[in-house]
Amino acid sequence: MDAGCQSISESRRSINEMRVFDPCHLPASFDPEVSPELRAEYVRNETRRQFFGKMVRGLGGAAFATLLGDSLLGSIARADEPKPVPPDWRLPNFAPKAKRAIYLCMAGAPSQLDMWDYKPSLANRFNQDLPESVRGGQLLTGMTAGQARFPLAPSIYKFAQYGKSGTWVSELLPHTAKVVDDIAVVKSMWTEAINHDPAITFLLTGNIVAGKPSIGSWIAYGLGRMNENLPTFVVLTSKYYGNAQALFSRLWGSGFLPASYSGVEFRSVGDPVLYLRDPAGLDREARRAMLDGIEKLNQMTYEEVGDPETHARIEQYEMAFRMQASVPELIDFSKESAETLELYGPDAKIPGTFTYNCLLARRMAERGVRFVQIFHRGWDQHDHLPKELVPQCKAVDQACYALITDLKRRGLLDDTLVFWGGEFGRTVYCQGELTASNYGRDHHPKCYTVWLAGGGVKPGIVYGETDDFGYNIVKDPVHVRDLNATILNSLGIDHEKLTYRFQGLDQKLTGVIPAKVVDGLLA
Amino acid sequence: MLLLGVAVILGFSSRASSEQKSKQKPTQTASDRGSEKLSFNETIQPILSENCYACHGPDPGARKAGMRLDRGDFPFLPHEKDGEKSGPAIVRGEPDKSPLIWKIEAKNPKDRMPPPEAHKTLSAEQISLLRRWIKEGAVYEEHWAFIAPTKVALPEVKEKQWVRNAIDSFILARIEKEGLNHSHEADRRTLIRRVTYDLTGLPPKPADVDSFLADSSPDAYEKAVDRLLASAHYGEHRAHYWLDYARFGDTTGLHQDNYRSVWPYRDYVIRAYNLNKPFDQFVVEQLAGDLLPAENVDQLVATAFNRIHITTNEGGAIPEELQFNLVKDRVETFSTVFLGMTMGCAVCHDHKFDPITQKDFYQMSAFFNNTADKFADDAIAAPAPFVTVPVAEKLAAYNAILSERAGVERKLIARQNLVDENIRAWITSGGPNELHRVSPEKLVAWFPLDEGKGTEVHNRAANASPESYQIAGVAPHWDEKTKFWPSVRFSTGTFLASPSVGDFESTDSFTVAGWFQARQLPQNGGVSETGALLSRMRIDGEKRNGWDMYWDGATSYDKEKKPQKVDGDTGTIDVHLANAGPKNEVLVRTKQRLGRADWYHIAFTYDGSGHASGIHIYVDGKPQELEVVTDALTGSIRTDAPLQFGKRTDAEPLREARYQDIRVYARALDAAEVDALANEDVVKGILGRAPERWSEDERKAVEDLYRLRFDREAGTLRTQLAEFDAKLKELETGGTPSLISRERATLPRSHTLDRGVYSALKERVAPDVPQVLPPLPNGVRRDRLALAQWLVSPGNPLLARVTVNRMWQELFGTGIVETAGDFGVVGARPANRRLLDWLATDFRESGWDVKRMYKLLVMSATYRQSTHVTPELLEKDPQNRLLARGPRYRMDAEMIRDTALAAGGILSERMGGPSSKPYQPAGIWEAVNASFVSDRYVQDHGDGVYRRSLYTYWKRTAPPPLLETFNAPDRSACLVRRERTNTPLQALIVLNSPDFLEAARHLAEHAWHEAGPEEDARLQFMAARVLSRPLQNRELDVFHNALSVFRAHIQTEDGARTLVTVGDSPVDATIPPQELAQWTLVASQFLNLDEALTK
Repeated sequence: MDAGCQSISESRRSINEMRVFDPCHLPASFDPEVSPELRAEYVRNETRRQFFGKMVRGLGGAAFATLLGDSLLGSIARADEPKPVPPDWRLPNFAPKAKRAIYLCMAGAPSQLDMWDYKPSLANRFNQDLPESVRGGQLLTGMTAGQARFPLAPSIYKFAQYGKSGTWVSELLPHTAKVVDDIAVVKSMWTEAINHDPAITFLLTGNIVAGKPSIGSWIAYGLGRMNENLPTFVVLTSKYYGNAQALFSRLWGSGFLPASYSGVEFRSVGDPVLYLRDPAGLDREARRAMLDGIEKLNQMTYEEVGDPETHARIEQYEMAFRMQASVPELIDFSKESAETLELYGPDAKIPGTFTYNCLLARRMAERGVRFVQIFHRGWDQHDHLPKELVPQCKAVDQACYALITDLKRRGLLDDTLVFWGGEFGRTVYCQGELTASNYGRDHHPKCYTVWLAGGGVKPGIVYGETDDFGYNIVKDPVHVRDLNATILNSLGIDHEKLTYRFQGLDQKLTGVIPAKVVDGLLA
Repeated sequence: MLLLGVAVILGFSSRASSEQKSKQKPTQTASDRGSEKLSFNETIQPILSENCYACHGPDPGARKAGMRLDRGDFPFLPHEKDGEKSGPAIVRGEPDKSPLIWKIEAKNPKDRMPPPEAHKTLSAEQISLLRRWIKEGAVYEEHWAFIAPTKVALPEVKEKQWVRNAIDSFILARIEKEGLNHSHEADRRTLIRRVTYDLTGLPPKPADVDSFLADSSPDAYEKAVDRLLASAHYGEHRAHYWLDYARFGDTTGLHQDNYRSVWPYRDYVIRAYNLNKPFDQFVVEQLAGDLLPAENVDQLVATAFNRIHITTNEGGAIPEELQFNLVKDRVETFSTVFLGMTMGCAVCHDHKFDPITQKDFYQMSAFFNNTADKFADDAIAAPAPFVTVPVAEKLAAYNAILSERAGVERKLIARQNLVDENIRAWITSGGPNELHRVSPEKLVAWFPLDEGKGTEVHNRAANASPESYQIAGVAPHWDEKTKFWPSVRFSTGTFLASPSVGDFESTDSFTVAGWFQARQLPQNGGVSETGALLSRMRIDGEKRNGWDMYWDGATSYDKEKKPQKVDGDTGTIDVHLANAGPKNEVLVRTKQRLGRADWYHIAFTYDGSGHASGIHIYVDGKPQELEVVTDALTGSIRTDAPLQFGKRTDAEPLREARYQDIRVYARALDAAEVDALANEDVVKGILGRAPERWSEDERKAVEDLYRLRFDREAGTLRTQLAEFDAKLKELETGGTPSLISRERATLPRSHTLDRGVYSALKERVAPDVPQVLPPLPNGVRRDRLALAQWLVSPGNPLLARVTVNRMWQELFGTGIVETAGDFGVVGARPANRRLLDWLATDFRESGWDVKRMYKLLVMSATYRQSTHVTPELLEKDPQNRLLARGPRYRMDAEMIRDTALAAGGILSERMGGPSSKPYQPAGIWEAVNASFVSDRYVQDHGDGVYRRSLYTYWKRTAPPPLLETFNAPDRSACLVRRERTNTPLQALIVLNSPDFLEAARHLAEHAWHEAGPEEDARLQFMAARVLSRPLQNRELDVFHNALSVFRAHIQTEDGARTLVTVGDSPVDATIPPQELAQWTLVASQFLNLDEALTK
């Protein structure tokens, strides 16, 4: 942000009531790498917040956050419309472990058998039939046509134990293996959906049929924002190698929640936020003059008509102007230390890679973005699994390690929940050609592996077990609903109490079928 | 500081609750006042539905203590739960003796209702209202929306001279009752701008404003309204609303999200509005134009309404699940758009609030469950059925033939309606004697597969051993793709094998026959789309041994006769008799290809000769021309492989096929026998019993056969139809396919599903409308047409109300019923029910005249009011529900973009046709596209960039970002009310997107050339185009100031040039770039004004 424009925008604050800013209110997550400009911006925001506080927007606590979430970047509501006020509860429901979450969504279903769920006894069963007793009449996708039998395909990757926890990890994840003592590996995830679209919709919205709010929207609705100039819920999509299904903007949509709780997609091509950049040839001062004119004219309109929405319009344009400064600062990695960049590896400099997105997510976490969702697709290895899985793992492995490590050394891991996982698992039996070096795996909803870390999660554990074939759960099953209840729990939300009245019902992320918080995963 | 925070929170909470109250205020205060008895509907039901119905409402599954409070039949009776009896919950006139009151007033929180887990608390005021209502006799009323509207008398008002039409009487009566004043009429510029936007979606042209101002005749406004209603832009603007309701998009929305060809439907909607098609006709055509029967292509195109939901081609999709989800969408869309009801709630259980049972939902779904589409979309632009809309020159000829054809089809339908009578006469006259049964001699296996559920099936051949079989593996799906009875589908992993049946030698003669439906799954490519229908075949490496009847999807073979290309939709029937195939075997193949989605009777007979000439294949009883591929069998064909359905012992199961009436004879049937087997044998069996004892499926089977074989007149009519179809096909060359609905010949049936799980079939149900609404007429054939006609019949209480409410919402921003998609018990109460009922009745009585209704609305004094908000109005009616002032709100996405294009003079006038692809930032599609989808956004050039926004290509996984940011929906589901939020992302679009920057530059160019050199004149020129009014001096000053800054900052030609070269259109070289850039920024300021974005 250039100095000239700052002074103009600063002067504009005179319309606000300036108050003494208390630096103690800087969030703990502001680390030394945060630029003085950003700090100054934060101070200004705090001032504005106080100004708005006078305008019935509360200070502190969840009500405050929720209202800001509703009223600012997400949306500037008509002043005359009732705000969607949470019912008779206040969030958080109890002391949160995590204030924010980073959700690494491995869309397409990574093969748990080749990455996490070590099954040494399968080695001797290469190409043997999966016993019918194990399969138990399990529904198949129908894609496993072209084969009358279900030959076992043991993983060709070597596994070893790592860390104090001795967690088994395959050679595909050499970096992630270094942080196993910081994460909780769940081998007993399961879901009901067997196809991608319903399954990922289920994972991210708690319902197989599209149209319900996404988990990020629920959290944005429940907890509100921590930064006025950045969205509360950001979505990042990443480059991938393998077979990838389509994504849908409704996967981060707000469903029946107000649209302002939708995820905002940051793009790796062109402007990170659509049309963020002013056209070439227009400098910030001219832009400022333009907006000043618009505001004066809008103020006249307000005097003429008296519609409070005109004031919302004025604020909308101001926020856009501020965002034009805050987003470029956010994506400017130039002040990241060499050591940090090295931690993440060379991909950190390539926009659109999963690694770049992880570093960006850390920066967003620092700046108070509540929920960052990074999609990495291409995990759908129906055939030629080895060929595709190696580069897929390579694309996320070091980044996951670096993200955990980076958050931890900055003291952010304690109050940031990190989730890694996909919509279901993959079958132990082969789909397509089976040779000593080649195989594929079909969809498998009955068990799969995910991991969680940070904010309230018990580090260095493995939760749940599967049978010798990696086909059925034998201990501590965790359903998608339970996972969502647990994620909400670590953010201080009782999943039974985070509700929104729609079609006469108090709707919940976890739906009507009972869900339980997985206590065994929580510290 | 902390204290301040708390105070503010509290301050807000109380404000919020007062706002929530104000939402209900208009209805509550009306009834609270005076000594009038409390109205159940207006006062009591909202309290009960909010606090009690979830556990004491229509859903028996959720009902607690056996107590039901939603309808008057129950609370006054003793009730029972777990054998425990309780007295009535309410004693009329005696609040103190009513347990309901004891419960809600209980001191001990443990006893109090609602219980703590409900998170609900009754206020003292609500409790006192309930007391008063019980004291007044506790009279229940039917929910208001289910009572047919009547045209009530106009209320008396004091200020009669203000009233321009009936609307104003109702509105003013309320305003006066609340002690408020209406607003004065808006100035004429505001008025012409408002009405031009509302009727065309575009700003008025300055010349139109001027001529309106110059017209001092008393009917000047009405003339303007009539002119606008006659504009072609009227239909475009209406369509952009309707396309949300109908969830129209250019792609499938799931999985590959491919393009599909439905834009003719969009054009139909525009045309329907512009032709002022009566709304009832508009509705009937969309729901059931195919069944009318259609007399012109539009009536077919209209039926895309039932097809444009999202679809998938995901390879693993489970057909029943997919079909259920899509049918559910049809029911939800139907009920939301036409009934204003949320029927989707009844998928899993009886509705918790509205008297809609789970059975109601599934009966409704049966109307939509019997269409001929395959549900998987095959990733092609036009999955069948579709109509090919002919090119314009051939349209008249096409419609003429279609109209003639409809006449013939009507005769056929009339005959079908007589079928009962005809069949009776046929039976009486001994017609059935002509029918043949096939001798059961040497019938070794007969699997009717009519069990309807479970995993046990029976071999009903005499002396069969064993008599029954357990199906192994994945459970089979029983459902309604009926042939003779509810049918069964085997998944890949479903196994039905009989080791004892069909063990034939090459010297044996035998016959294998049955009804088959090859598959309705997504097309996935690859040779796995072929497979055995029925086999006794061992595969050992490359060799095969045994016999089979085989569905062969291949369309070409290599030299080794191995299949190469495969057609996912059609196949031939192959018969193998193999000793050691492919060398030592007989292989014959039908020349005709069969479709996958249809039922066929397929049979082959073999005479034991060992030669290809000894094999005959029959389809639907007709002998087929065969190609002899291999005729080199020597030795035995016996094998230890069992008889298997859909499989051999190797790979290539015939995926997901359906089977019915499968038979194996240890003799070769003759041609007449096979023919009888296909068509007569089963029916002859049915005819052996009295008609009163026939099941509905059996009656259908008799009817079908009678029509096919014995109704000669129907036969002649069918031949004529085929002739018309051939002529139509000729005219279709060069046309555009458009998806349509078409009814299958099967019975429209559905099943209730346990908890909405597609595979958990419960009771089988026939189509019917919800029991709480008026019934279908007696004797009517229950199909989509009957449903549509029921919907538009005068007794339907909902359609007219729901429709005029949406019209109101389009003009006033909020409907008279705020929840435009929910008129149910928990929906909002109408802000002015008498007005709504009057409008609904008037609309219906006018012959559903749409333009007349819009005219009525915009002609009202209510509509014409100034939008000026006084502090008093803001305090008393912040949401403007009483309409004591004119409507003002941020416009829809389409209107905002179209305004810019119109103001810049670059808006294309081209109507209709394929969707357009204007500017879009790179990477939007790529960020979400599947890796195996090559579809890339290729921006249009020329006028494709400048067309009205409703023509923008709607990719549902990544909707047009500019429109989506302004709350346009992704169109993946029906939406009857868009949200209207304000975000900074919207500001960035209007400030920086090429659409708006280019329009601003053109506006600047026009101002430069057409307004002369004076700054003020140029500014006034822009104001006229964007705001439809001149600027005041103080406004001019603001622009002058801005201009001076722009001049200081835009000095270099290069910088200016980059600013003005945004967009495809050439830059006006006659204007110095710096000046053009400066004026472009001014124009951009205009486009970004609150006033420009607001209607």
